[in-house]
Amino acid sequence: MLQIRMHGRGGQGAQMAAQILATAFFREGKYVQAFATYGGARRGTAVSSFIRIDDRPIRLRCDIENPDAVLCFDASLLDGKLLQGIEEDTTLLVNSTMPKEAFTELGNYNIFSIDGIAIARRNGLGRIVNSVLLGALAGLLDAPDFENLQSVVKDLSPVKISENLSSCRDGYELARKFKGVA
Amino acid sequence: MIKESNAMLLTGNHAVSYGAMLAKPKVIPIYPITPQTPIAEKLTELQLSGELEAETMTPESEHSAMAACITASLTGVRVFTATASQGLFLMHEMLHYASGARAPIVMANVNRTIGSPWGFWPDTTDSLAQRDTGWIQYYSESAQESLDTVLQAYRTAEQVMLPAMVIHEAFYVSHSLEVVEVPSHSMVDSYLPPFDPEIYLDPSINRCWGNVVNQEMFWRHRKALGEAMDQTFAVAAKADAEWKELTGRGYELVEAYRCEGAEILIVTMGSMCGTTREAVDLMREQGLAVGLVKVRLFRPFPVQQLQNLLKGVPRVMVMDRNFSPGLGGVLHQEVKAALYGMDKAPAIHGYLVGVGGLNVSPDLIAKLVRRTGQAQPEINSIWVGEEDGA
Repeated sequence: MLQIRMHGRGGQGAQMAAQILATAFFREGKYVQAFATYGGARRGTAVSSFIRIDDRPIRLRCDIENPDAVLCFDASLLDGKLLQGIEEDTTLLVNSTMPKEAFTELGNYNIFSIDGIAIARRNGLGRIVNSVLLGALAGLLDAPDFENLQSVVKDLSPVKISENLSSCRDGYELARKFKGVA
Repeated sequence: MIKESNAMLLTGNHAVSYGAMLAKPKVIPIYPITPQTPIAEKLTELQLSGELEAETMTPESEHSAMAACITASLTGVRVFTATASQGLFLMHEMLHYASGARAPIVMANVNRTIGSPWGFWPDTTDSLAQRDTGWIQYYSESAQESLDTVLQAYRTAEQVMLPAMVIHEAFYVSHSLEVVEVPSHSMVDSYLPPFDPEIYLDPSINRCWGNVVNQEMFWRHRKALGEAMDQTFAVAAKADAEWKELTGRGYELVEAYRCEGAEILIVTMGSMCGTTREAVDLMREQGLAVGLVKVRLFRPFPVQQLQNLLKGVPRVMVMDRNFSPGLGGVLHQEVKAALYGMDKAPAIHGYLVGVGGLNVSPDLIAKLVRRTGQAQPEINSIWVGEEDGA
């Protein structure tokens, strides 16, 4: 089972990102489970999304305590409490203007920092970073298949489809470069 | 050949909406604002797209929505509605009225914490507080089960002429996006016949409901309601068995999961059952004789089935994601009452676990099983909180 946790603030798109990712894995024939918890559907409050992917039906109905990857929309959410219990070498994808070195004191994680807002702006998306981050996540995890992810982004983007697609590709390519496979 | 089902990625709430759509209700009175869930939105979307032909009404409150459900149902049409937490509480008076009127309404309820303080978390106190209203209650573990249960609930409710609630918890089921097999209309039509009651209200035939009765008539009416409840288990079991025959998916009303030779059985409901299955598998691998008893049908309470399953088992632990102040965990107390005086009754431990939506992991369940194996049971349910790993 692959388990992913996403942390953001209301309005940043963590829930939508989870839906896109779940749809991509679903189209690859996987069983998925994606849910979010939030303290009120308000902009600015902390939102956590949980995604499980498996080859068999998923029975667990609880939070993900040991994710294989964490995607953080907002570096201000990233602290010891958030990372409590997470094993070393877990993939940690952070949306930040700071380099990954700024986060090394958090622990010995496999950190990849990406300036999602700069990439989103460059692609005409303003501050909407979920396509960038999903592209980067797919690049880091080798899953879901990138072309499949692109087609889901295309199908689920309410507006600015080409901007979302190019943002997603930029995120993916940066992550591949980081991994040394592009 | 017509494709009999279609795999879709749906949340638990949307799965309920598809279940309701497939049942072809004629009237859907529904309060559309908080604490309403996306169940209502999806139904109106399905109506807009032409997939659902029903009259939706949006009265000014849940109380009025339930009043509209009762009157619509009494005219002899199939009725659906949905609510959650505070909304269910505002309906409370009319819930009694519905069962008294023998109106087989099916309603989905999403379990959410009840104010105050304010919250949105999974906690079953809201629906358990309606246990005396005369409604059949099903607690569901997954989006698929919620869809399937809506259809089973109609089958059952319309045979015994009692209203039924299909209940699932917030977030872990309601907002969980997962793969759901949506059966075809023809498949559902072969399972669920049109609602065609013998007696119904029609202005042209001068019938009415709700007249004043004397003591003896009231007594007789309550007794008949009780007799309908008594028949419900068998009717609901048949509805489940036939659904399984048709779709391959059956859930039973009280499910025994890996209970063979168990030293400790875990009794719980709803979303915690899924997590418990994982915990049971892990503990069985370690050689611990542990199993799960899932109470899917809570009303009528399956006393006989629980007695059969729990008789002779040394220890039972009940997990409650709800709290009745002054009593403890509702399921804990009901299980104790069900087994009272039984020969070879187990020692029963009760845990208030996940109350307020606290996380319940397989590790926490394993920890409680170990505690149950060592401790003497206490009369009251025991609080399990963050310091215990929740």
